[in-house]
Amino acid sequence: MHKDHLITSENDIGIELEDSEELEKLKEAVDDRKKLIQALRGKPWPMRKKLTTLRESQEFLDRYEGALGKGKGRKLYAYKVMMNKKWMKFKRDLENFKTACIPWEMKIKEIESHFGSSVASYFIFLRWMYGINMILFGLTFGLVMVPEALMGRPYGSMPRKTVPRAEETSAMNFAVLWDFGGYAQYSVLFYGYYNSQRAIGWLKFRMPLSYFLVGVGMVAYSYMVVIRKMARNANETGGGDDNSFNFSWKMFTSWDYLIGNPETADNKFASITTSFKEAILEEQESRKDDNIHLTRFLRVLANFLVLCCLAGSGYLIYFVVRRSQKFALDGFENHTWWERNEVNMVMSLLGMFCPMLFDVISALENYHPRVALQWQLGRIFALFLGNLYTFIIALMDEINLKRKEEDVVQLNMTMWESSLYNESVSENSTAPPMFSHPGDVPRGPCWETMVGQEFVRLIISDTMTTYITLLIGDFLRAILVRFLNYCWCWDLEAGFPSYSEFDVSGNVLGLIFNQGMIWMGAFYAPCLPALNVLRLHVSMYLQCWAVMCCNVPQERVFKASGSNNFYMAMLLVILFLSTLPAIYTIVTIPPSFDCGPFSGKARMFDVIQETLESDFPAWFGKVFSYASNPGLVLPFMLLMVLAIYYLQSTSKSYKEANVELKKKLQMQNEENKKKNKRAALKAAMELEEARKASSSRATEQHYNLTHPDQNALLNAGDMIP
Amino acid sequence: MGSRASTLLREEEIEEIKKETGFSHSQITRLYSRFSSLDKGENGTLSREDFQRIPELAINPLGDRIINAFFPEGEDQVNFRGFMRTLAHFRPIEDNEKNKDHSASEPLNSRTNKLLFAFRLYDLDRDDKISRDELLQVLRMMVGVNISDEQLGSIADRTIQEADQNGDSAISFNEFIKVLEKVDVEQKMSIRFLH
Repeated sequence: MHKDHLITSENDIGIELEDSEELEKLKEAVDDRKKLIQALRGKPWPMRKKLTTLRESQEFLDRYEGALGKGKGRKLYAYKVMMNKKWMKFKRDLENFKTACIPWEMKIKEIESHFGSSVASYFIFLRWMYGINMILFGLTFGLVMVPEALMGRPYGSMPRKTVPRAEETSAMNFAVLWDFGGYAQYSVLFYGYYNSQRAIGWLKFRMPLSYFLVGVGMVAYSYMVVIRKMARNANETGGGDDNSFNFSWKMFTSWDYLIGNPETADNKFASITTSFKEAILEEQESRKDDNIHLTRFLRVLANFLVLCCLAGSGYLIYFVVRRSQKFALDGFENHTWWERNEVNMVMSLLGMFCPMLFDVISALENYHPRVALQWQLGRIFALFLGNLYTFIIALMDEINLKRKEEDVVQLNMTMWESSLYNESVSENSTAPPMFSHPGDVPRGPCWETMVGQEFVRLIISDTMTTYITLLIGDFLRAILVRFLNYCWCWDLEAGFPSYSEFDVSGNVLGLIFNQGMIWMGAFYAPCLPALNVLRLHVSMYLQCWAVMCCNVPQERVFKASGSNNFYMAMLLVILFLSTLPAIYTIVTIPPSFDCGPFSGKARMFDVIQETLESDFPAWFGKVFSYASNPGLVLPFMLLMVLAIYYLQSTSKSYKEANVELKKKLQMQNEENKKKNKRAALKAAMELEEARKASSSRATEQHYNLTHPDQNALLNAGDMIP
Repeated sequence: MGSRASTLLREEEIEEIKKETGFSHSQITRLYSRFSSLDKGENGTLSREDFQRIPELAINPLGDRIINAFFPEGEDQVNFRGFMRTLAHFRPIEDNEKNKDHSASEPLNSRTNKLLFAFRLYDLDRDDKISRDELLQVLRMMVGVNISDEQLGSIADRTIQEADQNGDSAISFNEFIKVLEKVDVEQKMSIRFLH
């Protein structure tokens, strides 16, 4: 064998090789060895032989691979080769480690085998969001909260960092803290605590600059990550697979013969069943062809009904917001609990009942379940958008109110300071340093902290609502169905209400809107990403448990579209919509005069200007001002728009070419099948004819034997002795 | 017959098995030790209960049929020769064997013979055709009661429609080969951890 020859001949090759021909032979030998090592695992040799061959080949390579470099470069070449090998090993170990580190993989696989890929796609989406929020949390925690807590001035040293005297007694109450007032308000959790000092601590950390850049960086990072995911998903859907033996393959090759654990076997049974159901559904949907006019009419009717619903709920929200603005002017103490919380309650109720209504209406439309899910998601999205902008309008009103209040306070402030000054002057004759406890100083109403608080309260109430709905709607219902079934007149499990199914659309939208809130509010409340990380972590475990414990798989299990780009597209829209208000407030509204890292500036983005002027050399400022000249920026944007258009049209033409090729392949396959069928039919017919012919010949012969002609008899007679 | 020593393999037997199945000496001794560990009754043969003790076969929906494939027609015990003859189907195909011309009779582990082994798992009545009923039986074992009977019937019909080329509403061996043409049978139906 060729390989044996290699093993025995290594001792014959000498060490000193300067001849180029021998160098060639050596190179070949080294390549052969490398190929042998790579193919070693698949060879049906005994283990001992494999190990010996491996060791010998590696020794050979160690000794002679370095020798391939010529002359002085030999040592460097050997070094390079060794570093290369170490790098490959490191990469491989890293890959293994990364795969082992993927969190919650087993949970999600279990859910996938029992409930199908659409439910599992929600959990995969949740896990991805968790990753993004971890990064956002890292940014805000590490670059904003920790520096201020460690290096900024401590609590109680400044007016903005101290609880006002009036609120001090109630500052530690749980109710106040739960509402994020009191001590929670005057801490690193909210915008108002931060000092506007340009550089803090011995590191000369530029706090206001860091705050601003972290806010911008969060948005930029989120955009980048969402668009990158969309691009990657688009690439993956490119390759189609051979569908000509779909059911046969599922039938003959779906079992995994290496499974030895009973639980894994149960999961495998469940996943085979699910995969058959998905394939059946795809077949059914691709064969449906009913009255197209009736279907179209019904769909138009359904959309009209949905529009009416949305318009109605929009008007209701507008009406309720106006009423609550009126109540706010009267002062909240004069109204009942319902009137105080009217807006929130109306929005929650709408959010609960309208999706069910949309579900019922969508039964008219008769779409493929995946398409129906997308329509449902789109409609609930429109409903929640209304909620979102109502909330923002309410917020804007409050901000304007607080800014008017601020002007009043600024006026009062000068009067208070002068009164203090007068008092101290009357005591001493020298210029008095004005000592007053920070808790006594009159404060402006810090509208940024108020905005942050609103967002945090919204997130908390949203989270509570979700969990309580989960526990009551799913868990309690499952317990009732299970145990009341023993003593109930009709079968609770089969008829109404039975166990609930997992609501993919509701949960996905909840997740997306939640993330929108985080993006909107994170600039004013740096604690939001931390809160969200905690919330997603708890959600993951709670929902995984609830799905396996209280839900049943859907009747019609469908395969989620592999790309998930629909969720990503909605996330992108929400990202855009939620950064708009934040950017608007940053650009147009001047910051509060006495709280936050930008206090005292005319606009928040002035901090950039200030940094450019003081921290960078002069020429940098000049270059920057040239680069931000509109005359340069506008042509650049035009160029980018043209590039996008060009790339879009080329990718469209590639996609069309791809579809054409696939169609051709499919037609070819079907032609082959038809040809084979025809050939087989022809062969069968020929067989029939041959049989008929042979049977007719047989009867002829028989006929000849029983009625021989005269000659034959005479001849036969001659032969008889 | 008291001690195990008397049931040890003799050299001539090893040679015969080697010629018949193509396993090497060390592989045969290794498989013999596995055979002995399964043989709880220590009488040199395996019964169906011995096979069902293997967990991977116990939870396999086709486990019973695989076990049946070891036993020749009508018998309840299989000796080591029979055991090796069946396992020979799962010997990996070596590179130099792929190119050998088919002068001698095809070795037991050729692709065709591997597929024939799989085919016989489904074709219970040995008429060289997998009929709709046989497919239904397999489906019921794989999926159980989770899918309705009429849907199972449709799946079986669809499978036959995909695979059948000569219109006889059953899957013959050649059609079976065509269906699994793109599946890497040589890799998947081979034991790679022998010795």
